[in-house]
Amino acid sequence: MASLTPAPPLGGYDMTFGELRLRECSELALVSLALPLGDEAAAKKAIKSSLKLDLPAPGMSAVNDTHRLIRMGPDQAMLIFADDAALAEPAVQTALKGACYTTNQTDAWVALSLAGPGVRDVLERLCPLDLHDATFPVDAAARTVMEHMGAMIVREEQDGFVLLSASSSAGSFLHAVETSIGYVT
Amino acid sequence: MSQSNRLTGGLIDRSVSVNFSFNGKNMQGFQGDTLASALLANGQRLVGRSFKYHRPRGIFSAGSEEPNALVQLRKGAAQEPNTRATMAELFDGLEATSQNHRGSLERDFMALTDLFAPFLSAGFYYKTFMWPKAFWERVYEPIIRSSAGLGRLSMQPDPDVYDHGYMHCDLLIIGAGPAGLAAALAAGRSGAQVVVADEDFLPGGRLNAETYAVEDMAGADWAAQAWAELQAMDNVRCMTRTTVYGAYDHGIYGALERRTDHLAASEGRPRQVLWRVYSRRAVLSAGATERSIAFPMNDRPGVMLAGAVRTYVNRYGVAPGKRVAVFTNNDDGLRTAADLKAQGVEVTGIIDARKGESLATTWGRKGLTAVGTASGRSIEADCLAVSGGWSPNVHLTCHQRGRPDWREDIAAFVPGADLPPGMSVAGAANGAMTLAAALKEGHAAACAALGDLGLSPAAGDAPKAEDETFDIKAFWHAPGKGRAWVDLQNDVTAKDVKLARTEGYRSVELLKRYTTLGMATDQGKTSNMLGLAVLAEASGKSIPDTGTTIFRPPYSPVAMGAFAGRARGKDFRPNRLTPSHKWAEEQSATFVTTGNWLRAQWFAQAGEKGWRDSVDREVVQTRRSVGICDVTTLGKIDIQGRDAAEFLNRIYSNAFLKLPVGKVRYGLMLREDGICYDDGTTARFSENHFVMTTTTANAVLVFRRMEFARQCLWPDLDVHLISTTDAWAQFAVAGPNARALLGKVVDDLDLSNEGFPFMACAECTVCGGTPGRLFRISFSGELAFEVAVPARYGDAMIRALMQAGEEFGAIPYGTEALGVMRIEKGHAAGNELNGQTTAANLGLGMMVSKKKDSIGSKLSEREEMNRDDGLRLVGLHPVDRNDMLNAGAHFVELDDHHPDMFSDQGYMTSVAWSPELSHSIGLGFVKRGKDRIGDIVRAYDPVRGKDTKVEIVSAHHIDPEGVRQRG
Repeated sequence: MASLTPAPPLGGYDMTFGELRLRECSELALVSLALPLGDEAAAKKAIKSSLKLDLPAPGMSAVNDTHRLIRMGPDQAMLIFADDAALAEPAVQTALKGACYTTNQTDAWVALSLAGPGVRDVLERLCPLDLHDATFPVDAAARTVMEHMGAMIVREEQDGFVLLSASSSAGSFLHAVETSIGYVT
Repeated sequence: MSQSNRLTGGLIDRSVSVNFSFNGKNMQGFQGDTLASALLANGQRLVGRSFKYHRPRGIFSAGSEEPNALVQLRKGAAQEPNTRATMAELFDGLEATSQNHRGSLERDFMALTDLFAPFLSAGFYYKTFMWPKAFWERVYEPIIRSSAGLGRLSMQPDPDVYDHGYMHCDLLIIGAGPAGLAAALAAGRSGAQVVVADEDFLPGGRLNAETYAVEDMAGADWAAQAWAELQAMDNVRCMTRTTVYGAYDHGIYGALERRTDHLAASEGRPRQVLWRVYSRRAVLSAGATERSIAFPMNDRPGVMLAGAVRTYVNRYGVAPGKRVAVFTNNDDGLRTAADLKAQGVEVTGIIDARKGESLATTWGRKGLTAVGTASGRSIEADCLAVSGGWSPNVHLTCHQRGRPDWREDIAAFVPGADLPPGMSVAGAANGAMTLAAALKEGHAAACAALGDLGLSPAAGDAPKAEDETFDIKAFWHAPGKGRAWVDLQNDVTAKDVKLARTEGYRSVELLKRYTTLGMATDQGKTSNMLGLAVLAEASGKSIPDTGTTIFRPPYSPVAMGAFAGRARGKDFRPNRLTPSHKWAEEQSATFVTTGNWLRAQWFAQAGEKGWRDSVDREVVQTRRSVGICDVTTLGKIDIQGRDAAEFLNRIYSNAFLKLPVGKVRYGLMLREDGICYDDGTTARFSENHFVMTTTTANAVLVFRRMEFARQCLWPDLDVHLISTTDAWAQFAVAGPNARALLGKVVDDLDLSNEGFPFMACAECTVCGGTPGRLFRISFSGELAFEVAVPARYGDAMIRALMQAGEEFGAIPYGTEALGVMRIEKGHAAGNELNGQTTAANLGLGMMVSKKKDSIGSKLSEREEMNRDDGLRLVGLHPVDRNDMLNAGAHFVELDDHHPDMFSDQGYMTSVAWSPELSHSIGLGFVKRGKDRIGDIVRAYDPVRGKDTKVEIVSAHHIDPEGVRQRG
């Protein structure tokens, strides 16, 4: 059989609206890490030595040149990095030498980058969270719900956010973000 | 009639003329006018007809409390009834029409109703239209409904769009009058995150309507300057045309922002935005509403609140009349006379209730011409300014069941002690009825709120102003002959209130419902207090003893469209698409919604006349050769951890501890009460790694319950859950040629029955290296596999499977064929797992292991759930093979002549036409079902008028030994 060609949920969408850019980050791989009960210290040490990242506090992410590690909960984190492997998880598992449980999440999510001046005006029609600088600084991350869809939001830079939502409803999620942009710009 | 009542001055922009029409008559106003001020400028006093008696009515107020001047704005689909002319900002091309009349506004045929007023007192229709009984619905009610009422809907879809939004702030300031501005300045200068909202398009509140001074400047100028300072602050969000309409839990407020109502067209932008405001603290500075006095014939066009008269004169440069009389019980009345005189408007008389003076009647059929005093004097007037005092706008303080307190010195209710958490009240809303006091309270409230939050207020005092005099003597109801209106919007008179009391409606809440006092669009803002006072007077009780009705959100009307926001039509909810969706569309699939998913229901082919043709073909071809179905929608949960097996053993009622690696097991989940709620399969990929599938419908529920169990019931277990439903595209490949087809797709895996037996699972690669998972499970009863690949390869995978299946005549099948095959095979699904059935009912009693504890296992041992004569899942065949079965039919014995719930033998859950058997088949629950195989009963279905003889058979209509799926 001929090999299979991947198709990202939004086909690599990339649009600008004035100075705002909305882009599907189809290059990103997502792997969730779970810290084994009782072996959290070893897990943190393995994360530090293999990824060169300290496990951040819940609600925050840690970032280096290649990886962003989002703490999703007491025993859970999500690793985001550029990788075009069909399954990014085995390599992460190997690097961590079994110190964390790992699950491939690349295909479960669609990632949209929304960046540019006024980005918070767009997000306040979608995102129920307080995105003021003091409460949601750069590298902050949180799970929430946008237009009835489960979502994750990460502040990459002052005027730049990554929004993640379920890949099956990627079209509806994109529509929600596009609608917000259209309504405020 | 060209703005004959326009004066000089005001806060309007006279350089911008605005053309508008009322009832087709062209008029002109200025930018900054409301429809009401422009109508008055043009001398239009009569603007509508009253709700019940169709009496001529004019503009009564200058704000959101307006009970009378309700008009329809715009035309066609955009037509909006019941708009308050006092809140409608004038724009060029505005078209307004009056409401609630037959014939013209001037000659309303329905005005005849007024002649019958003595027969139409409160509750008249409960007493009058009692017989004949049948006439109520067919005759009386339609007549009453069509003659009473407000405006008319266009009956077309709303052409505008609406949106929702979320705001967060340290301090929300509700109302931008003097108290609100003082609060906002104090908070804004401190650097706190502030939202200040006002329902008006011009911030300043009464400062724009009075001639007061603040900081030695005109009040309106100071308000404009303060607003400009606030707008320049990054930490302050200034919102005009925004009504905070409700106070909800945890400092959350609802606010409606009207964004394009003041424009001729919204041009695709949201007309209104409904904001959810998350505040840490809130200052309610919503001001106060003036109230009227009940005196005979007090409803004529031209009778107006005194404060509104000052608003029209000072803010809009409009004289509400050429000869104005004043009736008052407080100093505001005198202020009105002074403001009128300053603008050169003639004041024909001042009737001051504090001096024992009163009014006994008024004259003027379609507009006031004169008023008559109690002492018999007649005073000419085309406008009467009435002030019965001011009621603080306490509404939002009561949205969480707070009760206001009575203050005798200002004859008004003020906020009680039980405010919504985080709220404080300042200014007139708090009973501080004078300017300097309001400014001070606003400033102090903001400083206190900031202190509460650990923020330090900026240095500085409250803005300075003089306190005007405010002397009031309660005066509610002037006795006399003729109807004295209490509630103008609902046509409730003082007599109605007294009558209701006589008839036993003594509680103010009952009074409201019986008389409709305080209902409809104005929610009694000008009438509640008056009605209460009249009731108190009639009962001989004090006002605080009489009590108030409870205020509920919204403070003023909110369009349904604003509540709906974007959730409309196809955007009502998100759509989840399967990885093969695009391909299925290319195959002309018909889709069905299952939750938010769109699933292919069947794939019609040319020449097929209906869905049955397609479904039958899909079933036959799958059973004959091979069919492919996208089963991605089934919930998938990745379960890892040292204690994952133990966890599953407690979640499922059957054993999972010893499931070997590389194997799949069917599992049953019970609720705590022992009732079955989900089933599915779980595969073990390694010692500590399982992948569970759930039903599509329960994917979220199962995940949520398992997460609860993990976190709360057994936090000592090392187990971790991740939903991977969307991560993997999964396809069922079923039929005798399934193995041959997959052999072409799956790389290097022995798919023989020995190498990969029934209920095997493995990680693999497909199509030359794409990682995948393979499961040998069957829902159809055929030899079947499920193959999964990362979702972004799903589209390519379905195409590869179809291509590989071409030589076998492989077909895609949809959810209908899936359903038919599972009914033929006798698998339970949602119809059988209906929230009432136990494992025993389903014939799966053996799956509730007695050797271990699992959720629901203990309560499933209850006696009633283990009766030998309980319901059991069976199959049903019609005795006459031509009969079609229906789900929902109940089973009764052949000789049962009076079927009822006591003789009920069970019910049919699922039915299908079986292409395999060539007749209708069913699944259902029958009492002692296993012992009754071969018996004939009736499927009795009075709803559909059917009564069909059916034979009880095994639930496994085909291949009961499972030879095919194990082959």
